Amino acid sequence: MNAFFANALRAGLLGALLTASAGALAHNPMAECKPEGKEQIQCTGGFSDGSGAAGVTMDVISYDEQILVPGKLDADSKMTFKRPDGEFYVLFDAGPGHVVEIDHVDIQ
Amino acid sequence: MSKTATLAPAAPKPSFWRRWRFHLSALLLIVPIVYVPSYFENLALSRGLMGLGQRPAGDVLVGPWKLQFAEWKVEPPKSDPAGMVKTFTMAQCAGCQDQIRAVYLRVGKPRSLRAAGSIFFGSPHRAFATVPIPPRTAPDADLWITAEGWDGSVHQAPWPIATASPATVEWLKKQGASR
Repeated sequence: MNAFFANALRAGLLGALLTASAGALAHNPMAECKPEGKEQIQCTGGFSDGSGAAGVTMDVISYDEQILVPGKLDADSKMTFKRPDGEFYVLFDAGPGHVVEIDHVDIQ
Repeated sequence: MSKTATLAPAAPKPSFWRRWRFHLSALLLIVPIVYVPSYFENLALSRGLMGLGQRPAGDVLVGPWKLQFAEWKVEPPKSDPAGMVKTFTMAQCAGCQDQIRAVYLRVGKPRSLRAAGSIFFGSPHRAFATVPIPPRTAPDADLWITAEGWDGSVHQAPWPIATASPATVEWLKKQGASR
């Protein structure tokens, strides 16, 4: 019986080797915001490989490029702030080229 | 005394399974062969033997720099935890390598350099960028290329999705129809 399992393992390994390809390991930034109650908004940041984003910058910026709420994500990769008046977007900024933009109309 | 009397009784007739499992093991070896052509194609693509990507998408003049683009794989956007994403490759013009600091790509015109989109990473001869494609994007929308020079200059150019990736346009049209 052990021999059967060993053979099955070998066959599985062979299959895995033959189908494995040099796929790029993605680590795309991701963020999502949802309203909390009437006044507050809670945003969560992270990366597509499952890692969190504690301490990463998340700014709330108005359409005329004024930073309304400069923020950093807490230990849970979350940030809560009061919904600003007017039009704005939330920018999760994990460095150049690693950003996610969330428009205020998408937060509902 | 007869010799046959001392012989063991004839072995029982092998079952169907016992008879065929050898052939099944051969099948296990043959099945992976089906994947061999795509395996070597992937390998050639990764090594650059097939050019910049599966589908060359032309040159785009961004400020003073001519950048060559390609669709890495001819396919609709792929699902990723970060949304639906599409990968493009880019090569810088000869002689531009020392001038260009970074190149970014995103759907729609960036609001600022900070929000310029995904950065191209890799060598100047083949850099990759994986761009999220919002499902609500209009099929005739543009990707925007932002190139930042070491001298601090920033240049931008639109690049129609239809030119960059017809497969993505098809996907966006289907998205629109399903809504």
